[in-house]
Amino acid sequence: MPTHIASSETDVIEAVHTAREWQSPLEIVAGGTKRNYGRSVVTMGTVLDVSGLRGIIAYEPEELILTAAPGTPVAEIEAVLAEKGQRLGFDPPDWRGLLDPEHDGFGTIGGAISADAGGPARVRYGAARDHLLGIRGVNGFGEAFRAGGKVVKNVTGFDIPKLACGAMGTLCVLTEVTLRVFPKPPLSATLAVRGLSPEDGFALLRRVWSSPLEATGLVFSKDTALMRLEGEKEPLAEKCAMLRTLLGEHAIGEIPEGDVAFKAVGDGGIFDDMPLDVWRVFLPPASAAAAAAELDSPLWLGDWAGGLLWVAALPGSDTVRAAAHKHGGHAILTRAQEETRERLDVFEPQDAVRAAVTGAVKAAFDPLHLFNPGRMWDGV
Amino acid sequence: MKLPEPDAEIIAHADDIVAALRAIVPDGVVADPAGLAAFDGDALTAYRQKPLATVLPRDADQVSAVLAYASEHGVPIVPRGAGTSLSGGALPRADGILLSLTRMSRIKEIDLANRCVVAEPGATNLSITRAVDAHGFYYAPDPSSQIACTIGGNVAENSGGLHCLKYGLTTNNLLGVEMALASGARMRLGGKAPGAAGLDLLGIVAGSEGLLGIVVEATLRILPKAPATRTLLAAFPSVPAAGQGVADIIAAGIVPAAMEFMDRRCVEAVEAHSRPGYPAAEGVLIIDADGVQADVDHDIARIGAIARKNGAEVREASDEAERARLWAGRKAAFPAMGRLAPDMLCMDGTIPRRALPQVLARMSEMAKDYRLGFCNVFHAGDGNLHPLIIFDVMKPGELERAEAFGADILKLCVEVGGVLTGEHGVGIEKRDLMPAMFSAADLEQQHRLKCAFDSGGLFNPGKVFPTLSACVEQGHMHVKDGRMPFANLPRF
Repeated sequence: MPTHIASSETDVIEAVHTAREWQSPLEIVAGGTKRNYGRSVVTMGTVLDVSGLRGIIAYEPEELILTAAPGTPVAEIEAVLAEKGQRLGFDPPDWRGLLDPEHDGFGTIGGAISADAGGPARVRYGAARDHLLGIRGVNGFGEAFRAGGKVVKNVTGFDIPKLACGAMGTLCVLTEVTLRVFPKPPLSATLAVRGLSPEDGFALLRRVWSSPLEATGLVFSKDTALMRLEGEKEPLAEKCAMLRTLLGEHAIGEIPEGDVAFKAVGDGGIFDDMPLDVWRVFLPPASAAAAAAELDSPLWLGDWAGGLLWVAALPGSDTVRAAAHKHGGHAILTRAQEETRERLDVFEPQDAVRAAVTGAVKAAFDPLHLFNPGRMWDGV
Repeated sequence: MKLPEPDAEIIAHADDIVAALRAIVPDGVVADPAGLAAFDGDALTAYRQKPLATVLPRDADQVSAVLAYASEHGVPIVPRGAGTSLSGGALPRADGILLSLTRMSRIKEIDLANRCVVAEPGATNLSITRAVDAHGFYYAPDPSSQIACTIGGNVAENSGGLHCLKYGLTTNNLLGVEMALASGARMRLGGKAPGAAGLDLLGIVAGSEGLLGIVVEATLRILPKAPATRTLLAAFPSVPAAGQGVADIIAAGIVPAAMEFMDRRCVEAVEAHSRPGYPAAEGVLIIDADGVQADVDHDIARIGAIARKNGAEVREASDEAERARLWAGRKAAFPAMGRLAPDMLCMDGTIPRRALPQVLARMSEMAKDYRLGFCNVFHAGDGNLHPLIIFDVMKPGELERAEAFGADILKLCVEVGGVLTGEHGVGIEKRDLMPAMFSAADLEQQHRLKCAFDSGGLFNPGKVFPTLSACVEQGHMHVKDGRMPFANLPRF
């Protein structure tokens, strides 16, 4: 397949004009680590490799703002932020092991945003969409445009950056992203309560979630509730003491290297070598235990105080989404064979009203269906 | 500001329209001139216009029926909550139906286990917090008009408030909506489960200023109340010193719950008005830290030290009564300035914080040129500037001068890397300034998105976008504002 390498917005515009001329769709790729996520792109056309759009364009720690080219590796951004004691709030995970163990590339910020990928800290700080303040991009008309801004508070015009989050590159080719960033407290503590049923475990996590402790990780796995608190030394000690009081009837242990455990949760690490499909089920947190019981999965865990269940299922099994719906949620088929992803749909099937709006929004950005066609649904 | 030309043909059919609305909402149509006077504008008080009729539906089905009728007959719809918009978002049209959501004000569900409240659009912002206060929760976005403004209006404007830096705007606290589309069909976006389940359409509905549809239900995130709050008052010898203090606090990794700046003129006006006890200084910051006690103590100690290092005199509110007084003074800045002149324009640009001294200096020069008084309040934590321009609409030329001064301020905000509006919305007030921030291609992309929801141009025409243009397939051709903006739609 021919590859068009773009290292500037002008290159992207040129590639889109060529694609328009030949009516030949583009698969947009940077690090390439999420090519197995979503449906396969329907294209006999060209790969548009945007990994050359790379580098931090502006970083102003005292403004809590960072602007980068979308092909910038997440790891590079995290390292630069860490030097100033800051971080990305939405905690982008690394799904290489989960989706493509052979892959030796790197995840990019554009990919994390386009996949709306968020790790355990999302429970405290919100999703990628809550942090993306502004974008530049090239639409399917071959026009460069900007939307949003480079300040944390802005309501000027439609909030198109939010729409770009989770759109899997189906609306435009991002050429610049501006994110708000957060101070990273210097210390964290991970506390654990073992021997819990899912029902008791999620109820316990929701008690912490509903307290002012601002936990940055609330995970249930096997029989254990894991809770991460953060802060400066003395405040953190006080928060740990408050947690012990809040959960007074339970024996609470502390886990060393808790951050490693939380990172593995976000990365879907426990599923890496399993020959099983992996679903992410998004739920009203209070429904998590009931949904988990119904799913009866051989391997699962809960994140975001129950707002997210990671669920392994037998290859090709189609029961997960129905269970999600029954409990007021929705599901993404995060990992499966290509054939399964086509058959079951990766993203939520849409009713007629929603599908019509989605189709019209797609056409507003990309009427010729040049960008990642079919990646989300038929025609989008 | 030029208001759109009304469509004479629609006005000629006013009786038919009113009859049709009465058939849908028998007890909720206002069409007599005296009744309509109550609906002739919002908090952008310089503009007044009575609607053709006001309809006050009681439920979502009535909203849908009104929209289906209006779509069929090409009658514009202007949505309205409490009418507290500062940008003219709810300004009616002579040829349009004003759709007031205030009778749909129920709180439908309080779901503490999932930390959310489901409410109708006419519920007030404050009613959400009141509904969950006894359980130890609150709803974070707190625009100053929160006692009156509605959740539907908050969603439309993506309203903010004093605590945005730490707790976000409406969009960050909105879990889901049910909305009625132009056809009357209804669509659910989001809900109690996280994630968008497809494209994040909820993300563009928040802040869409009534241009995409009518929200008939909203699901809102509630937060646990912070167990401790402390408030500092820091008086700086100069504006740049205050600006540096703000930058240093943020750079130190502290995210205050609120951090408000007032300049000398504002401090003096507020002191004359309500005597909260502000010190006389070139720049005053009121800073809240909230959270668990140890976090708050730690942050307050560091904030105080940083402010002093930048030359400030710092004191802390000694008790809850003083805390309340200091904040009441800040929230009353608007009426306090209002005593100095009959009319005011409240601007709303956001700038990078580092540009504060430069922007304040330039604004003072502009004020001299325009021969108008102004003062500054500023959500310093997030860079959201609220210059208040005072004028007298009865003096010939003052409104125009005030508007020109305001426009220059907002252009300056854009020039230094900021934006036209941080929380009040574009409405009609900043509509014609959009090209100062966005290129033609930027605006065309936004307009195509509008058309994806509302190809007939039903919702709030004349707002936000500087030129009225019809929706054309693929958005390539623009039809300039004509006497019949929706010429190809079926009419009566």
